[in-house]
Amino acid sequence: MQIRKAVITAAGPGQRTLPMQLLIDQQGSECSVLSLVVREASRAGINDVCIVVSPGDEEPYSKLVTQDSVRLTFIPQRDPRGYAHAVFCAREFVGDEPFLHFVGDHIYVGPESGGSARRLIDAATTAGCSISTVQITRENLLPYFGAIGGQPVQGKPGFYRIDTVLEKPTPTEAEQSLIVPGLRSGQYLCFYGMHVLTPAIFEILAELLSDSAQKRPSLSSALAILAQREQYLAMIHKGQRFDVGVKYGLFSAQLALAMHGRDRDKVLTEIIQVLATREQSEGSGQ
Amino acid sequence: MSALWAIITATDPDIRNRSLDSFCEHASTSDLIAEAGDLEARRHSSDSLYDRVRALFFLYAIHRFHLPMRPESATSRSHIPYAGVERLLNRRYEEAISIFLAAQSAHGLGDGISSALASAYRGLAFQTLADQVRRSVRSVRGNQWMFRTGHPSDYALRLRRELLPSALGQPAPILHEATPVRMDLSHSGWSDIFFLGMDLPEGARVLNVSINLALHDTQSPKPPVEAYLRVIDRPVIRLVSVDLDASVEIRELQEIFDFGRDYLGLLKAAVIASGIVPAGLEGSDQPLADLLRQLTQREGLGLEIVSHVNNIPKGSRLAVSTNLLASLISVCMRATGQAASLTGQLAEPERRLVAARAILGEWLGGSGGGWQDSGGVWPGIKLIEGVRAMEGDIEFGISRGRLLPNHRILSSDEVTLKTRQHLQDSLVLVHGGMAQDVGPILEMVTERYLLRSAKEWAARREAGEILDEIIDELRRGDVGAIGRATQRNFDGPLQEIIPWASNLYTETLIREVRAKFGSAFWGFWMLGGMSGGGMGFIFDPVRKPEAQNALGPMMREVSQRLAGGVPFAMQPVVYDFSINENGTFAELLSGESAVLPDGYYNLMLPALLRKEQRTLSVNERADLERFSFRCHAASGAQERTRTFLNRLLPQAQNGNDRAETLQSLLHQYGFDPLQHERIQTELRAGQIGLAQNRLPASVTIEDVAPDQVFDATRGSDAKLRKLGEEALASGSVAVVTLAGGAGSRWTHGAGVVKGLSPFCRLAGKHRTFLEVHLAKSRRTSRAYNSPVPHIVTTSYLTHDPTDKLLKLENNYGYTGPLYLSPSRSVGLRMIPMVRDLRFAWESVPQQILDAQAQKVRDSSRAALISWAQQCGEGSDYTDNLPLQCLHPVGHWYEVPNIFRNGVLRNLLEAQPNLRYLMVHNVDTVGADLDAQILGRHISTGATMTVEVMTRRIEDRGGGLASVDGRARLVEGLALPSEDTEFRLSYYNSNTCWLSIDALLGVFGLTRADLADERKVADAVRALSARVPTYITIKDVKKRWGEGQEDIFPVTQFEKLWVDMTALAQMNCDYVLVRRMRGQQLKEPAQLDGWLRDGSADYVTGLCDFPD
Repeated sequence: MQIRKAVITAAGPGQRTLPMQLLIDQQGSECSVLSLVVREASRAGINDVCIVVSPGDEEPYSKLVTQDSVRLTFIPQRDPRGYAHAVFCAREFVGDEPFLHFVGDHIYVGPESGGSARRLIDAATTAGCSISTVQITRENLLPYFGAIGGQPVQGKPGFYRIDTVLEKPTPTEAEQSLIVPGLRSGQYLCFYGMHVLTPAIFEILAELLSDSAQKRPSLSSALAILAQREQYLAMIHKGQRFDVGVKYGLFSAQLALAMHGRDRDKVLTEIIQVLATREQSEGSGQ
Repeated sequence: MSALWAIITATDPDIRNRSLDSFCEHASTSDLIAEAGDLEARRHSSDSLYDRVRALFFLYAIHRFHLPMRPESATSRSHIPYAGVERLLNRRYEEAISIFLAAQSAHGLGDGISSALASAYRGLAFQTLADQVRRSVRSVRGNQWMFRTGHPSDYALRLRRELLPSALGQPAPILHEATPVRMDLSHSGWSDIFFLGMDLPEGARVLNVSINLALHDTQSPKPPVEAYLRVIDRPVIRLVSVDLDASVEIRELQEIFDFGRDYLGLLKAAVIASGIVPAGLEGSDQPLADLLRQLTQREGLGLEIVSHVNNIPKGSRLAVSTNLLASLISVCMRATGQAASLTGQLAEPERRLVAARAILGEWLGGSGGGWQDSGGVWPGIKLIEGVRAMEGDIEFGISRGRLLPNHRILSSDEVTLKTRQHLQDSLVLVHGGMAQDVGPILEMVTERYLLRSAKEWAARREAGEILDEIIDELRRGDVGAIGRATQRNFDGPLQEIIPWASNLYTETLIREVRAKFGSAFWGFWMLGGMSGGGMGFIFDPVRKPEAQNALGPMMREVSQRLAGGVPFAMQPVVYDFSINENGTFAELLSGESAVLPDGYYNLMLPALLRKEQRTLSVNERADLERFSFRCHAASGAQERTRTFLNRLLPQAQNGNDRAETLQSLLHQYGFDPLQHERIQTELRAGQIGLAQNRLPASVTIEDVAPDQVFDATRGSDAKLRKLGEEALASGSVAVVTLAGGAGSRWTHGAGVVKGLSPFCRLAGKHRTFLEVHLAKSRRTSRAYNSPVPHIVTTSYLTHDPTDKLLKLENNYGYTGPLYLSPSRSVGLRMIPMVRDLRFAWESVPQQILDAQAQKVRDSSRAALISWAQQCGEGSDYTDNLPLQCLHPVGHWYEVPNIFRNGVLRNLLEAQPNLRYLMVHNVDTVGADLDAQILGRHISTGATMTVEVMTRRIEDRGGGLASVDGRARLVEGLALPSEDTEFRLSYYNSNTCWLSIDALLGVFGLTRADLADERKVADAVRALSARVPTYITIKDVKKRWGEGQEDIFPVTQFEKLWVDMTALAQMNCDYVLVRRMRGQQLKEPAQLDGWLRDGSADYVTGLCDFPD
């Protein structure tokens, strides 16, 4: 299986400025969030990237991306029917090929030299099926993520055959349905936000989106069906991901980039200085 | 391997189902001891819950029913080590057992030590079962996370967005859950007890129907249980019970876990069991507001949860409380996304989780229900069956069955709509008005199931066959045959398994219904654990409307006739019902339709009206506006307005009435206000009280020497017997039955006449205590050809009902002289002193309950202490029915009353030869005019001969002691320390023989003086001053609402006859009698053992019933 294309969704209403936010990357250069996201695909060897955007964002976003090696296609999501629909908008771009997918408001910072996406693509190429990256997550974070249940793959530590996918399950549902041998109680495998998917996902999304009972189907419900139709694996990923859309999300992402980058010592020194100044002022106040 | 362990562990059902009794019958005492030793050793080694528990019950039964009957232990004086008793009280059963076994090894067998071992083994058996149920419920997938969430930041539930206010300043919609209750169409033979389902899954089967209900002829039936949930604009959890008229606003997390402090324990349990406040947060000391912020994802919002039960009284046997709990859990689960559908029916896995959580909630609230009780969650008619535990189940390897059964809903193909309609057209559902504690019955069932006595085991099989028959008839549509089957089930297997399932009230009703409706009455059908509350009568549909109208008056008439001795919590009622085909069902009420039940507004709005209008929150203003609209425009506006106004305006009239009635009663029954005032002053000043009841520690209290007691249990002394027989033949003896008591332990303070309680079926009929005593006098009269005069002492509470019933029953056929001796004194109960409550609850060692139940008890005791402080310690207790505010002043007065009220004088005039009295408690049913004991009394020339028994562990309340070298009876209240009691070998049976002339002499009177009322009164007053006054705390029930009962501790005083033995002028003798003779029946829970250990047969043998 060869993965040549990537789909990045960045069409969330109310978050349209997020991809434009500027950060300092590991090399100490200023770049936009969107540029960092596209770079993740580029490092994984993908040259053909589609970004699903809100109508009108194509032009401003195109100016943000600095990677020359990547061919960008912007697809507007004209009918705002949610995340799964945004993925569906890339159906024609993807065609009949497997593709890498992640969201445009997450920054991935990991230990792998080739990036998180590289490792995922390598695994998918070997396994020849859809794979999602997952992280071991405590149950109090269940309201924020999709989560999976499944069985470990024999001889491949860190890989699981997915049986069930639930979007933001309650701990009750999770405990009943998301059983994963080997995990401690109260821990679940939640999506890391990065997937390699086969084109079968588009058939499923089409079915869900044509069902009038479902106004905004989730990608997780489509992935749950995918797990019933074909082999679908999960791979534990040890890197970190940062949702830049939440409170302090951008700051945390910047901190993580700095801690993994060239300016680590400089930033650390500044943090310590801030702390020391605070200690001093507290001390003198007493 | 021992024979009994082989029975327990056998895989062959024929061996496994052998009864203990059949083995013990043929075993020698040494065999029994060896078997008990082997069971004790092996029970520790087994992983199987069943093996361990059955071994414990075998050990219990060996020590309770078999070893004490062996001559080696019958009258042994071996003491029960107090160290073991202490462990037992603290539920440290294993330690207690070791101590008792060590004592048995050291001192040999004994009735007392066996009773202690029996008690410890039984306690451990039930504890083991309860622990397993708790473990299983906690381990159910979907429940575990609640126990590990220890901080609001661990919290993962989120409120569904649909429940949040649509815009700022708008009230939120209301989620409404309506849940039917359940009835058991077959009566399952109590196979819905958790342990039975877990041990014999193939035998645990119930046909369960969800029903809508309404009081007959009031409205059309609807789901009787409702729960409401809405978001409110304050960061609190507000719980409101409309039917209990109670509400609370919870601001601190810890308050949610405080179950006993108000009436809202069930709602709190639902909030916890649904996960809204996970159990793991108990004791976390975190702010509730943080949790609510996580839940709602907004600042300043909270939840309001309202419960409403529509006119279904407590004790309906329709599992109202479990289904209410399930309804509340369901609404909370929907609101937090734990059920897929916000509205409509639940999916099957969700129903199962609701059922599991209802069990959890019941455990949290310290109560317990059956395995089928949450059946109302499921729709229509369903067969609920036990399931074998398979690999992967948490019960696998521990018990044969799973904790949770399977529910198979019977489709309309299996039971047609026509049959369902036919069933509704035939069955009359009623609540007979009795509200009894079913707990002891459920324990008896478990015990009997494990002991497998042959008759009960056969009955259990027969009950299973009847269930199959009922299912077949349902499929065929023959409701008449169902009626015949349920009647057969009630008459046969059910009463064979548990004789106490029936009672005189139910049987009288069945008899009268049959007499009136003949063949149109198809059968009776018992609901729940026992009859008398919820019951069904099946009729030919042609006569059903007539029967439905007739049953109300008929039940009222019978209940009034029996009310003296049978505890009725409420007026009997008749229901209309229909089968509910939805199960629990929710809808979202928004906009104009977002209203709560009228009762909610009646309860909550008066407080809002007192607030400044401008300080009202948006929610509060919306509530006022909505209710105002409903009082003007909606249907039922006038009635609604009137009810609300009644609520707002003070209702002074009733209070005055009550005070007047109480005053007149006090006057009528000889209340002594001066004495009352003195006692009240001394009580408040701390001069008298529970601690002051005790003898000073400087007094030496020892066990009596063997030669100070005459042993009447070994053989028969012909000379003494002859002496007694001559006295009996010459008409020298009368019986005095002390029947002034209200049986506060018998009915937990319900205020009925104990003597008139039809306590047991003897010789084919339910008999009252008085009937049994008169039948014994009748037998003695016939045997000696001399009528025995029989005096029944009565009190203000018991006199009129006793007189009325004796007349109605024609003295139960007793033709000898029968006198009622009315009391001449009464006391007024008082609010207890906090120090006395603390003494009773904290200083006196007492039985600790199961962890959660103890927590509930502790919190309710804290609430009762505040109640006493608020009402004024030591003040008069008047907030109850007038009769419940009075108290008898102790049985010391009952004998002197015979002097004062002229009964003895009249008797002596009619029978001058009379010289002796046998005085006994109304509940000492084995006491009779035994010739040998009478002969002993005559031969010693004693003023009083007291009958004592060897002590068992349950015999609390003093006994025979040597006090500073003198043998006398000491009341438990007077013992300086708890361990003293267990050093005394003999317990007072409260039966004594009196020589009339000698006793009159102690009072300073002669026979001739009895005509001089004043002299007698002075003599009685003078002697009473020499007898100590004890302060006691008794439970009194206060009834309210629909069959609801509160129990309050009240202070009263009493003087006790046992203290006569301390007077120097009293020449006392003590006689050891067999337990069957001396046993007092204080609590209904004793009855089963009493029946099974042969005591009932013994008593029947003493009686000559005219029928």
